[in-house]
Amino acid sequence: MLEFIVRRVLWTIPVILLVSSLTFVLMKSVPGGPFSSTERPLIPAIKANLDARYHLDWPLWKQYLQYMKGFFTWDLGPSYTYRARTVEDILNQQWPVTIQLGLCAFLIALCVGVPLGVLSAVKQNSLIDHGSMVVAMLGVSIPAIALGPFLIWIFALKLKWFPVATWGTPAHIVLPAVTLATFYLARFARITRASMLQVVREEYIQTARAKGLREIVVNVKHAFRNALIPVSTIAGPAFADVITGSLVVERIFAVPGLGRYYVMAITNRDYPVIMATTLLFALLIVFMNLLVDLSYGVLDPRIRYN
Amino acid sequence: MKRMWLVALAVALIFGVCATGQVKTLYWNLASEPPSLDPNIATDTTSHQITKMLFAGLVDVEDETAAVIPDIAKSWDFDAATTTWTFHLRDDAQWTDGTKVTSADAKYSALRTLAPETASEYAAILFVIQGAEAYNAGTGSREDVGIMTPDPYTIQFKLNVAAGYFPSIAQLWVCTPVPQQAIEKYGDAWTEAANIVTSGPYILGEWVHDDHLILVKNPSYYDVATVKIDQVYCTMVNEASTQMAMYESGRLDVINADIPLEDMDRIKADPVLSKEFRSAPQLCTYRYGFNAKKPPLDNINVRKALASCVDRQSLIDNVLKGNQKPAQTWTCPGIFGYVDGVALGIGYPYDPEAAKKYLADAGYPGGVGLPEITLMYNTSQGHAKIAQFIAKGWQETLGIKVNIVNQEWGVYLNTCHTDAPQVFRMGWCADYLDGNNWMYDVFYSASGNNYEKYNVPEFDALVLEAQGSPDQERRLELYKQAEIMIAERDCAFIPIYFYTRNTLTKPYVVRTFSALNQEHWNRWDILPH
Repeated sequence: MLEFIVRRVLWTIPVILLVSSLTFVLMKSVPGGPFSSTERPLIPAIKANLDARYHLDWPLWKQYLQYMKGFFTWDLGPSYTYRARTVEDILNQQWPVTIQLGLCAFLIALCVGVPLGVLSAVKQNSLIDHGSMVVAMLGVSIPAIALGPFLIWIFALKLKWFPVATWGTPAHIVLPAVTLATFYLARFARITRASMLQVVREEYIQTARAKGLREIVVNVKHAFRNALIPVSTIAGPAFADVITGSLVVERIFAVPGLGRYYVMAITNRDYPVIMATTLLFALLIVFMNLLVDLSYGVLDPRIRYN
Repeated sequence: MKRMWLVALAVALIFGVCATGQVKTLYWNLASEPPSLDPNIATDTTSHQITKMLFAGLVDVEDETAAVIPDIAKSWDFDAATTTWTFHLRDDAQWTDGTKVTSADAKYSALRTLAPETASEYAAILFVIQGAEAYNAGTGSREDVGIMTPDPYTIQFKLNVAAGYFPSIAQLWVCTPVPQQAIEKYGDAWTEAANIVTSGPYILGEWVHDDHLILVKNPSYYDVATVKIDQVYCTMVNEASTQMAMYESGRLDVINADIPLEDMDRIKADPVLSKEFRSAPQLCTYRYGFNAKKPPLDNINVRKALASCVDRQSLIDNVLKGNQKPAQTWTCPGIFGYVDGVALGIGYPYDPEAAKKYLADAGYPGGVGLPEITLMYNTSQGHAKIAQFIAKGWQETLGIKVNIVNQEWGVYLNTCHTDAPQVFRMGWCADYLDGNNWMYDVFYSASGNNYEKYNVPEFDALVLEAQGSPDQERRLELYKQAEIMIAERDCAFIPIYFYTRNTLTKPYVVRTFSALNQEHWNRWDILPH
């Protein structure tokens, strides 16, 4: 297992190099630059001053090395858009908010989605099953951009249970977390249900029943644990997804998270922010996939890492 | 240390006021994180709104007329040629660290804007000062820039050309005195709440990035007695529908821009909201530029046909719904040099029959034989609706096939620079209140903003004469001739509308409306409610 982990960690190096190279080439290929945000083009002398200040007059290979060095030494340089702030300032201040929101959303999705899927499978073709799957279908289908304002209208404007937007108290987390969680909740519910239905038809489940085990023990101890493998496969990337932020949810609820920066950095051609966030997200995805692979062995002892 | 005492004093005052139940807090939405609170560097309206309240300017402007009025400079004068401007500063303005605001701070600010290492995007606006352009380009020295400070309360600017509009430039953020002592001590981080030293009506009490910002009344402001609102709590809600929901739930006192289009009809019909609604003019013009080098737009009659076939009033009533004003000329109302094209008959009003005739004169009767025309805009729901409306008019009235294309902003600007499509969307907002900012800065042949690549020596001569003439009557006449040339004779573009800013204000807020979109909260009040 240790060898497996070391091998996977070493594989991270070429992955990061590939992602960083691709990101660098793509962002430099897109027309427009970081200092052409208005209709007014800069006169050459002023553009030259800006290029000199941010080393954009360096050869591309040198700029690339500079970004990579900055990433690994956590000295990411200034943002081009927010001139008084460094990229690490932005990550240090905004990412914890995104993680907080993402964790809440992930817990909601997991704690509601998985039991809903189990219940649907156990009570297959019942009213509970149909009801749960309608909820799941709606959750997958309704985009956050529609669900967010709808929740604001109901729970903030009409019922006045929660604040409309902004951040600061636990009450502020509820609506954005539910909005962010709904899609993943629905996916967890559907996959758990499908997986459970497949597992309960396995021979070892029939054996367990034949041994006279109680239905709840069969379902929870034997079926559920094995049914979790496909769930954990999507849970890893889903976790990485929610803790890296959502432009839509953060924008609707004015959450001061990182998701908005990631997208706005691309629009503003804020190269250091693009490079840093992309590499960070790539690392997270790689790490989460490693955790998922490790979880397989825990969930199914037949899986070996050689 | 002095600043800490001031903040403490300001907070104590507010708590004191709180205790008596009279605190006046304005809840405002900035819509986004201000990219910079450094007056020499900021380029956007969000940042300018805050810097305006944090720093007293060299001079200021009236809200609705945008006329230049005293601020730190209590008066100013100029020589006969209007090339030397002298500003006399008040001696009671001070920084929040207790030091006096002097002419050295104003000089430092302008020179810092021009310094190549500052890399200020707005440096070019000061190139009217002698030696400024050379210093910025690295070919001249700091000492050769025409800014003198004969004494601590006098500053003098020597200009390259006669510029009667110079006070309009002096009121800009790039000339706002900045605290050298704080900038040199903290570097780029000098604008953080813990480090910043200011001189205006408000102190930066708190700045939680991307979340909120609190301004607190500055007890050391020279005119603090007139400031009625104790603090301004600024949120940073970017989504227009969320902003609207916050206003309706009482979490915001004002919406100063970006009322959702979908809510406009409801607001106008609502007995409460309709009274809180107001369209204020905004010094901007929306236009469709022509690439007159690309056939068939190289034929002036095709351009005239397109310009005559834009039903601006219907566009405003049915699509924009924000009480915008139809534009037939370029310079917008409120700017020196504006001519009322609609009243004077300059430009091309909506006239379908005339449009058909122009097209026939161009050799394409009923649009027969006319190649497809590309109409491009930068990706945005609002621009898309306008493009669809105008293209529909051209198709139905003139039989022209229009290919509507949109591109992401950065890509779009690049396209318009390098290979502009036949018709493209552009806008322009005033930096200062003179026709020079609209004619010379946009349509002069060498201007970087001249996306139409309009290159007519006669026009260039007109705007250069207008730029340098000390005779204001003559300048007005020259700008009128320039309008006739670009908007009518050569039909270089289609002026579509003059912007308005749709606002909602709670009835207990006593406010002014800034034409330059930089509100003076220090002139506002909040009534008991």
